[in-house]
Amino acid sequence: MSGAASAGLSEQQARAPMPVPSGADAALARTDPHKLLMGFFISSESFFFLSLIVTYITFHGATGPQAKDVLDVPLTGLFSIALFASSGTLYLAERGMHRGNRAQLRLWLLVTIALGAIFIAGQAYEYHHLIDEGVTISSGLFGTTFFTLTGFHGLHVIIGLVALSILAALTFAGDFDEGNEMPLTTAGLYWHFVDAVWVVVFSVVYLWTLVS
Amino acid sequence: MTVELTGQEGLRPRARTPGDVLLLRWLATVDHKQIGIMYLMGAVFFFLIGGVEALLIRIQLAQPNATVLSPEVYNQIFTMHGTTMIFLAVMPLLAGFVNYFVPLMIGANDMAFPRLNAFSLWLFIFGGLLLNFSFLTGHAPDIGWFAYAPLTEQPYALSNGVNYWILGPLVASVGTILTALNVIVTILTMRAPGMTLTKVPLFVWMSLGQAILIIYAFPPLTASQAMLLLDRELGAHFFDPAAGGSPVLWQHLFWFFGHPEVYIMILPAWGMISELIPVFSRKPIFGYPFVAASTVAIVFLSMTVWAHHMFAVGMGDLADGFFAAASFSIAVPTGVKVWNWIFTMIGGRLRFTTSMLFAIGFIAMFVMGGLTGVMVAVVPFDQQVTDTYFLVAHFHYVLFGGSLLAILAGAYYWFPKMTGRLLDERLGKWHFWTTLIGFNMTFFPMHILGIIGMPRRVYTYPNLPGWGEINLFETLGTFLLTISVLIFLWNLWHSLRNGEVAGDDPWDAWTLEWATTSPPPPHNFDHVPPVRSRRPLWDLKHPEDPDWRHGE
Amino acid sequence: MRVGRKGLMHRRRRWGAIALIVAAGLLAWPATVGAEANPMFDPQSGRARAVVDLTWVVLFFVALVFIIAEGLLIFALVRYRHRGEAGEPRQTFGNRRLEITWTAIPIVILIFVFILTVRAMRVIAAPPAGGDALNVTLIGHQWWWEYRYPDLGIVTANELHIPAGKTVHLQLESADVIHDFWVPQLGRKMDVVPGKINSIYVQSDNPGVFDGACAEYCGTQHAWMRIKVIADSPADFDQWVQAQKATGAQPASPDALAGRGIFLSSAGNCASCHTINGTANLANVGPDLTHVGSRTTIGAGVLTNTSDNMARWLTNPQQVKPGNLMPDLRLTPDEVRALTAYLESLK
Repeated sequence: MSGAASAGLSEQQARAPMPVPSGADAALARTDPHKLLMGFFISSESFFFLSLIVTYITFHGATGPQAKDVLDVPLTGLFSIALFASSGTLYLAERGMHRGNRAQLRLWLLVTIALGAIFIAGQAYEYHHLIDEGVTISSGLFGTTFFTLTGFHGLHVIIGLVALSILAALTFAGDFDEGNEMPLTTAGLYWHFVDAVWVVVFSVVYLWTLVS
Repeated sequence: MTVELTGQEGLRPRARTPGDVLLLRWLATVDHKQIGIMYLMGAVFFFLIGGVEALLIRIQLAQPNATVLSPEVYNQIFTMHGTTMIFLAVMPLLAGFVNYFVPLMIGANDMAFPRLNAFSLWLFIFGGLLLNFSFLTGHAPDIGWFAYAPLTEQPYALSNGVNYWILGPLVASVGTILTALNVIVTILTMRAPGMTLTKVPLFVWMSLGQAILIIYAFPPLTASQAMLLLDRELGAHFFDPAAGGSPVLWQHLFWFFGHPEVYIMILPAWGMISELIPVFSRKPIFGYPFVAASTVAIVFLSMTVWAHHMFAVGMGDLADGFFAAASFSIAVPTGVKVWNWIFTMIGGRLRFTTSMLFAIGFIAMFVMGGLTGVMVAVVPFDQQVTDTYFLVAHFHYVLFGGSLLAILAGAYYWFPKMTGRLLDERLGKWHFWTTLIGFNMTFFPMHILGIIGMPRRVYTYPNLPGWGEINLFETLGTFLLTISVLIFLWNLWHSLRNGEVAGDDPWDAWTLEWATTSPPPPHNFDHVPPVRSRRPLWDLKHPEDPDWRHGE
Repeated sequence: MRVGRKGLMHRRRRWGAIALIVAAGLLAWPATVGAEANPMFDPQSGRARAVVDLTWVVLFFVALVFIIAEGLLIFALVRYRHRGEAGEPRQTFGNRRLEITWTAIPIVILIFVFILTVRAMRVIAAPPAGGDALNVTLIGHQWWWEYRYPDLGIVTANELHIPAGKTVHLQLESADVIHDFWVPQLGRKMDVVPGKINSIYVQSDNPGVFDGACAEYCGTQHAWMRIKVIADSPADFDQWVQAQKATGAQPASPDALAGRGIFLSSAGNCASCHTINGTANLANVGPDLTHVGSRTTIGAGVLTNTSDNMARWLTNPQQVKPGNLMPDLRLTPDEVRALTAYLESLK
């Protein structure tokens, strides 16, 4: 082995230009790894939901009870507004944190959780109603695809609620007083994603019944 | 260990902490190097299981009308062989090298999320054990690794084997996705100063490509496995044709995962080849930007070719034609890499270490697998040979002749870095030649078998002209392969204890992992050398002619 | 690492050469075995020939690239092996023009092959001139084939009779899981998918018997789901059609008469799965047996159809074809003899 590796920097080496990060490299250097992780995670998740949505669309119009026969679009629309609004309230909470306004952070975080819970309650009510009507996961292809798609979405909302609740508890315990914004903004990315997925699901499953 | 227990200078006995127990130090580790080694050990364990399954397959097929295995057992064995080799051997072998070497090669002290990394490892181990636990129930899955519906649905598959096939790989693939996310963030955010994205080693670049493919290809598999489980356990109808469900939908979802999976299983292997061919040729890789860009092309194109696995399904000429064209297009960025590797050697001074021999073997075999890959993209030819032994030959040339030979090349190359000792070269050469000859004896004749009419996945076959002789010949090849694996295991064991001490940089190499001790300390580097080019250690060793002066 | 002793290197090189020669010889052998019996390269119709013609073109380019790549590799290994020179070779980083060339040439070749591919696909999918085709419906079952000739009123199993020189429009349906109809000499394979109706054109220009098999894994007995296509001369085919249209032969011998009794009795339980025309039952869980005596194999290819083999099958079908859906009926040797006589009389 040559001893070059241990010889240290030659004079010329020391004077050589170090590459300066630019473009993507520079942007990445400024990015929080946690947010980057969450960003790639939700982009991965979107392929999971895409598979379920494509499957739902594939079987649209198959035999058995259909979306337009059994779904209460206005009612679910109301509950959906709660979920959509929760993205706004979470944004307000994040802004409160950003400004160091602890009261605003706590208030809007609790409101966000409440809105998410209302959505889940609405979904539970809808499921109960459908199952009473005999529409189940095994009753036909509509039931199969509907419960799978909305069920997996609901599961994601519940996971988000658990995460936000933990963060809320930590907020009240004073954990974020020192300005550590990473946990909430990272969880926020996830929450906004779950919300965005519902925009697509609501359009495909519910609004589609209005045009067909 | 026990000496430490008495504490410094033996003055005050210290309380026994988990860190003192060797086993716990491994089980509780979050160090990427230990995790990498555990991936490799787990993968070798499952590889040996999958290898025994392969041996059983070949013993049963050695003669026509054989009764060594019953059809039920044979079908379980071939299903488990495929599933094990794909999810529990090749992928975790690559994951082991990625875990160990990506942080080292970019000058980082660990992965971005060490605890997430450990979690992924244990998901792989437990997913693998869960799948293999099915043997103890007496009903391992018997549905093929592709698990085509409706054979997987309740009326046709009543045992729990299918559920094990769903849940074992599902658990393991959650770990795979999490590792991939971890690798992406690590590569994007933890590179040493000066190592811009255009200067990362090709192994790192291809690992990034692999990770990106994983995070987009695996979720559809997870989704379709969830749907299958709902079909089986809650009476859903996704893939149940009697209720209007679609078996073809399963195939689309499965192959949307399944084809990128092929590239997932070979991208880091290409990366290894792209690292060690230059080192043993004493020249930089020929056309780095080209190799890197073609990798990006493959990542995108590989998501558009899935239905070339379905040319016999009856999708119609339009769809068949589209997927044939897409498959032809991916052949180009795949094929050009071969020229880059060969032209790296041309003009060099080749050192035929065992590692280099395996790399050369890789090129020679991968050319074969790549060319038959183009052949099966030709729709009418595929409609003859798909689901025959021709396909078995084709993908073994890609995954064994390709991925596995590259992994073995990587093993001989990096073993000294991981253990501080060199693998024995004399045993290594025996290992190489028995592998190469055994591999070709086993798999080359399968091309012929497929063309003369032998379907895949049959537990036995009629005594048609030539069939028995060719199959027997292949089985003899498998015995030679078995010997080669035993030689390798002996080499690992022997060299670990008695191997020549390697030193920090036994190959006079150029990437950052050789700038630290063998094995590296827990924090990897005391000092990361400056990175001004793609070969930082070349620059250090050759101040008179550094790469950065060439703008490389 | 670097072996310095010359003698050792020579010995190793000689070993390597011997190993390579032995390996090449061993690999050439299966190719010669394959060349003797090679159904795919023995096409029996224009559609099957289109595949073979295309394959030769593809093989030409594949062989060309293979020889260039492996040749260059061997050249590099021989010419550039380290021979003890001091220092490092000249460091080169690539050659843009060369790289563009070796990207462009394959693209041109692949475009050419793609055009040929599409042309062959159209030949294979084209209906016969004048649209004159015999309709046959194939129904895949675990693990046997049912063939229905809707225009002729014939139902049979496992052996497909077609008239030579005439195109057959084969419609493929499945009763359970996915199967695949593949007879290499007659052209492409096609999946048999439940809930999806596929069809292909099949033809043999000349009379002959062609082997095939189910090519999609379909469960326990996928291996014994063989296909036999019998292309008859037009006259033979007409004769076969007339024979098949007849109801099952009346038992002539006392054994056969007893056999029919067992077939129809609840003890035998045969008729709950199998049909024999003229005996007033229509079950089709298992193959139609109206003319089972005229077929050449039993159990979708697992046995040739002889009296001894039929008796063996009836004694315990699970021993002959484990896992198949016909249970062991625990017939006495006398019952087996009688049933065999009856079934073999059904020509």
